[in-house]
Amino acid sequence: MAAPEPALLTDMFHKMAVSRAIELLMLRHTREERFSGWWHPGEGQEAAPIGAAAALRSDDYLWYQGRGCAWAIGKGMDPLPILGDLLGKMNGATRGKGGGVPHWSDYGLGIMGEGATLGSVYPLAAGSALASKIRKDGRVSLADFGDGTASRGTFHETMMHAAAWKLPLIYFCENNGLLVGTRTEHVSASADIANLAKGYGIPGVIVDGQDAVAVYEVTVEAVARARAGEGPTLIEAKVTRKHGHYAGDPQHYRDPDYLKDYRDPLELLAARLSGNEAARLIEQADAEVAVAYEAAKAAPEPDASVIERDLYHVA
Amino acid sequence: MSHEVMGYNAAMGLGLVEEMRADDSIFIMGQGVVTGGWFGMEKGLVSEFGTDRVLDCGIAEAFEAGLAAGAAIAGMKPVINMGFGDFALIAGDEIYHKLAKWRYMHGLDVPMTAVIIFPIGAMGGAGPEHSSCTEVLGMHFPGLKVVVPSTAEDAKGLMKSALREPNPVLFHSVQGLGWSRGEVPLDPDFIVPIGKAATRRAGSDLSIITYGSMVPRSLEAAERLASEGVDAEVIDLRSLVPLDWDCVLESVTRTHRAMVVHEAFRTAGPGAEIAAQIQERAFFDLEAPVLRLGAKDFPLCQSAELEQAAIPSVDTITGEARRLAAI
Repeated sequence: MAAPEPALLTDMFHKMAVSRAIELLMLRHTREERFSGWWHPGEGQEAAPIGAAAALRSDDYLWYQGRGCAWAIGKGMDPLPILGDLLGKMNGATRGKGGGVPHWSDYGLGIMGEGATLGSVYPLAAGSALASKIRKDGRVSLADFGDGTASRGTFHETMMHAAAWKLPLIYFCENNGLLVGTRTEHVSASADIANLAKGYGIPGVIVDGQDAVAVYEVTVEAVARARAGEGPTLIEAKVTRKHGHYAGDPQHYRDPDYLKDYRDPLELLAARLSGNEAARLIEQADAEVAVAYEAAKAAPEPDASVIERDLYHVA
Repeated sequence: MSHEVMGYNAAMGLGLVEEMRADDSIFIMGQGVVTGGWFGMEKGLVSEFGTDRVLDCGIAEAFEAGLAAGAAIAGMKPVINMGFGDFALIAGDEIYHKLAKWRYMHGLDVPMTAVIIFPIGAMGGAGPEHSSCTEVLGMHFPGLKVVVPSTAEDAKGLMKSALREPNPVLFHSVQGLGWSRGEVPLDPDFIVPIGKAATRRAGSDLSIITYGSMVPRSLEAAERLASEGVDAEVIDLRSLVPLDWDCVLESVTRTHRAMVVHEAFRTAGPGAEIAAQIQERAFFDLEAPVLRLGAKDFPLCQSAELEQAAIPSVDTITGEARRLAAI
């Protein structure tokens, strides 16, 4: 197992603290201010994205799902384009097209985007993985998804081919046991999504998704396998969805004590840092996010000309 | 520059081969493409380009189209032979959401070349799930380009344009014309630009606006009409997105009568949009309502005879044009 160096631990913690600050800010913002979009909170579920993204190179391709913001922060995005998008401002990553559901991308950082028809990124990630295989550029593609979309047909179609072609592809499942309001056990005879890997002849790995370091370590192995031309891996991170599917979800489908085993990923990671480093990094992250929030709020709103932008690329 | 007489599918294949030679980011995928594909256009590709760029895949259309979207955004130029236009519906999310609007919704202004080949239309008993004309879907969902060549020359020239186009192209090959032959330029620089219609027959009495399988039928109808003293102009749109409105409106304002003919279903088919825009944009130049001819609004029967009875024939085109000329 490749344990992270102290500098990497610090970087992971800093990114997790930035994500957490944005998450808390968005929960407050949704409650207190008019918010036209849908916010799908990821607070408490930051460890899996932060740990996995730390195992990727900056030019690796990331196709994420739409809960929270930790994937984008983990892969290197700044808070401002994220908050700009969430607030629907011109300085958002989508330059005015945002407003709640995350579609931020950063081509230079390999952040390829999110499909709001959930679970739609499997074949797209296979596309970038095949591009890398043909070009021999050594890049890895990671398709992030929730357990709910493991029932998608394209999950199977894509992995059947990707395994046969030994594509540099990682399936990364965040299993929180709920698909919107449906319990996973109502639609799957197996509690473990990783079991599905057997049928494709690829490794299936289960990891504690609240522990960023554990996630980092298994992802490093999967990345090494992919880069070496040995093909895909399916990683299943067992995570806790602390909040509703969306901010304001009454969650009638929950047991009252669903958080009894909840462990905070920020606290788990803080225990690996020395002295008061964690407190210092949280303070720093809070300040960064506060500045970005003010800049996002002050930024101009999009005008209608945004509607007619980006439909076609003109050579 | 020299020409060669060749089949429609072979010409499409030649366009692909020429572009693959010039650009190693192009790859092709589909069922059986390694062995030459269903309609033969991929013959010989694997021996020249290898299995990295010529890939067989399973019965997995959503995977193929989604892979095309992902590979294209990552800078490759995928060509997917979907086998049949009907399969667009299996890959609806991947084509009409992902290929069409991934860049738009992410605010990503990057080139995205992807060619999805949809063989469309009646081919002699392929049945209601292997003969659909699905091109109207590409007109309805913004973000795609849509072409339908009617000649071997255009099949080659539009394929080359599609592979140089920095946006996804739904390339509809016409199954009913798959065995037709025609003169094809061998010049590797020859292309047919996307968005340019061709006037196949000049005329002064009425305009038949058509594309795909109905082009040869409309031309035959025009010859019959000529013998009756009606001079019909025949416009082959070639591209539906973008559509060459300049060509259409110039013709209609000159002939004052127009009809749209296609093999797709009549109701909410491409002709509905074309007729609507003609009357919106050239109402005071018209002497008659804009007529539409399309397939009967029923699933296509398996029987090759009933199949032909459901789509416009030379007789029905001629009859409708006669009626239009008399209004």
